[in-house]
Amino acid sequence: MVVALIRLELLKSIRSTSFAKSALVAVFLAFLALLLLSYVVFFGIFLKAIIEKGFESTDAYATLSGVMVYFFLFEFMYRYFVQKLPVIELERFLHLPIKKGNIMHFLLGRSFVSPLTLIAPLLFTPFAIQEIAPRFGSGAAWSWLFCIFFTSWSLHWLMLWFKQKFEDSLIGIGVVFALLLIGAGSTYYGWYNLGSLVKPIFDWSLASPLPVVVMGLIFMVTYWLAYTYYYSNAYLEDLTEEENVRFINQDLGIFSRFGLAGELANLEWKLIIRHKKSRTYLMLAGFFLLYGLIFYTNPVYKSETGFSHMFVFVGSFITGIFMLQYGQLFLSWNSANFDFFLQKRTGIEALVKGKYLLFVVTSSLCLLASVPYAYFGWDILLIHLVTFLFNMGVIMHLVIYLSLWKPKPMDINKGAMFNYEGVGIAQFLMIIPMIGAPYIIYLPFALLVNQYAGLLALGIVGVAGILAFPYLSKISIDKVLQNRHEISSSFRQEL
Amino acid sequence: MIKVEGLKKQYKEAVVLDVESLEIPKSECFGLVGNNGAGKTTLFRIMLDLVRASAGKVTIEGNDVSKTEDWKSRVGAYLDEHMLLSYLTPDEYFETLRKIYRLSEADLKLHLENFKELFNDEILGKKKYIRDLSKGNLKKVGIAAAMMGHPEAVLLDEPFENLDPSSQNRLKKLILQSKENSKVTFLISSHDLNHVTEICDRIVLLEKGKVIKDLNEKSLMSEELNTYFGV
Repeated sequence: MVVALIRLELLKSIRSTSFAKSALVAVFLAFLALLLLSYVVFFGIFLKAIIEKGFESTDAYATLSGVMVYFFLFEFMYRYFVQKLPVIELERFLHLPIKKGNIMHFLLGRSFVSPLTLIAPLLFTPFAIQEIAPRFGSGAAWSWLFCIFFTSWSLHWLMLWFKQKFEDSLIGIGVVFALLLIGAGSTYYGWYNLGSLVKPIFDWSLASPLPVVVMGLIFMVTYWLAYTYYYSNAYLEDLTEEENVRFINQDLGIFSRFGLAGELANLEWKLIIRHKKSRTYLMLAGFFLLYGLIFYTNPVYKSETGFSHMFVFVGSFITGIFMLQYGQLFLSWNSANFDFFLQKRTGIEALVKGKYLLFVVTSSLCLLASVPYAYFGWDILLIHLVTFLFNMGVIMHLVIYLSLWKPKPMDINKGAMFNYEGVGIAQFLMIIPMIGAPYIIYLPFALLVNQYAGLLALGIVGVAGILAFPYLSKISIDKVLQNRHEISSSFRQEL
Repeated sequence: MIKVEGLKKQYKEAVVLDVESLEIPKSECFGLVGNNGAGKTTLFRIMLDLVRASAGKVTIEGNDVSKTEDWKSRVGAYLDEHMLLSYLTPDEYFETLRKIYRLSEADLKLHLENFKELFNDEILGKKKYIRDLSKGNLKKVGIAAAMMGHPEAVLLDEPFENLDPSSQNRLKKLILQSKENSKVTFLISSHDLNHVTEICDRIVLLEKGKVIKDLNEKSLMSEELNTYFGV
């Protein structure tokens, strides 16, 4: 029975449309995953050296065990964002005469086969071999390692339960924030030292096998917790996602002044609010507003005169992030109802213009929200204004034009994290002109004259692009109209 | 009203549609029948310019559908869910269409009044997105949307599918009514031979993309069709 299920699972991944249609993307992603894992291995191998040299520590073991709790806090965070729930598969099995318990064990077990499971072993095994085994003996090393593995893997089961129960709810976000605060309170404010509170557990594991047994038990208990929760909720209605934000969303008033295009911008706004994937993009845009804090406060980018060239990139990112992310899947968002627009008179034109309108409004909001960065210098405000103009005049058209290269359908009810539906090669290659374009204009002037001349040039090009809007937007509209048959049949998944 | 000339649709070698000529006069109720894969939906899609014809053309009152757009405001259609905005509630959807078609609120109210019986109090005023509606109710929303904005022609793909028997009868009544009152041309594809012979003045039978029967005589229709389909 289990073998049959595994066989089905393999067939599913081999025959999935996204795999067959974009094998190149799949290869790229697999390569990316391997690269990341090999980084983890490298990091693991040099962990001892890094601790001893980088932190000038004489006792690498004590230092590592002291900060171990932060690793687990961090693991909790990335698991929260990355880990996928296995329930989506349930629908296909539930009606078959297979014992529910078996299905659950299989789905949970399958979720365990993941690169995330490997991170802790890859990271800490080299350290245990290099540092712990010589100093405390190999028995201690094994015991210490398994103590860590079981903690990491317990988090896996805990997260399956936690996410299914609390995701998208206030409690879930509250817990995540509370954990962030616990970590921050300890490191930044020094109220207490979380690391040394937890360290004795790991110290103890060197001398006695008891902690391993306890962690092993916790591992089993968390599995049992996830299992019973999933088992008792194995009904389609319980496990499908609940819409929590129903009907609190209203029209954005400003759009109504722009006729049909405004009406469609309003529709697009509702689409964003009412689908999981687009909601995540919106939240990310809010999150990336804080991106500037990393760069503007960093002494590396401080210079005596003027500002770092890097800030132009940061500025265009902050003022245009939503447009860049949402815009790269330009028409794919409407893949489920593209025929609706095709069938209306001037529907396509209004759809594209409505999206332009939406991008202008969201980017303006980002610009307004980024005004407080003036605290780090008036230069930054100037950079934001100029990059905003450039985004509106040039980048926006560039994003939209490039995204019209073979748009793909996607299901926007799925989450956004690690979801590459609708993403093709165009979306990857698009990043290059997005980052490069501002610098092509800015750098020659900045290096030959001065930085403000570079900004001025950016601003002028941006304003020129804004003035040429009717002409530039027509290029994109015509392109959609020309390819309307191909796009609509690809969205109906007929190709 | 709608004219098809030398229409052909080919996917690589496979010819899925091959219609020499077809003319549908105004206020006719035109029925399209045929087995699965006969090309009914493809014909409708080409008529609406959703799919490109390999050869030939479709004209609506003299305008080639693939070259002009003005006909779109005179033709309503519901083929499948791709034509709905499923993330809106039915009320929001009709309101959006009202703005697109530039109707007054009274117009919309009047229009929806006609559908009161068909909707059976399950569609309007409910806090439910279209995507969460049952298949039958989804169809009702689509049909009501297709008939909005005083169209001169309405294309419906399998309108009776998924509807309960009383809704099927109500829909038939609605179609006959708007044909009578506003001279609307209906193009209806269906597998339900009883319904389609009852309301349509003319039935065209497609087989493997070709028109093999064009029936105008009401009294002979059902017999001919029954022999063809072997029921």
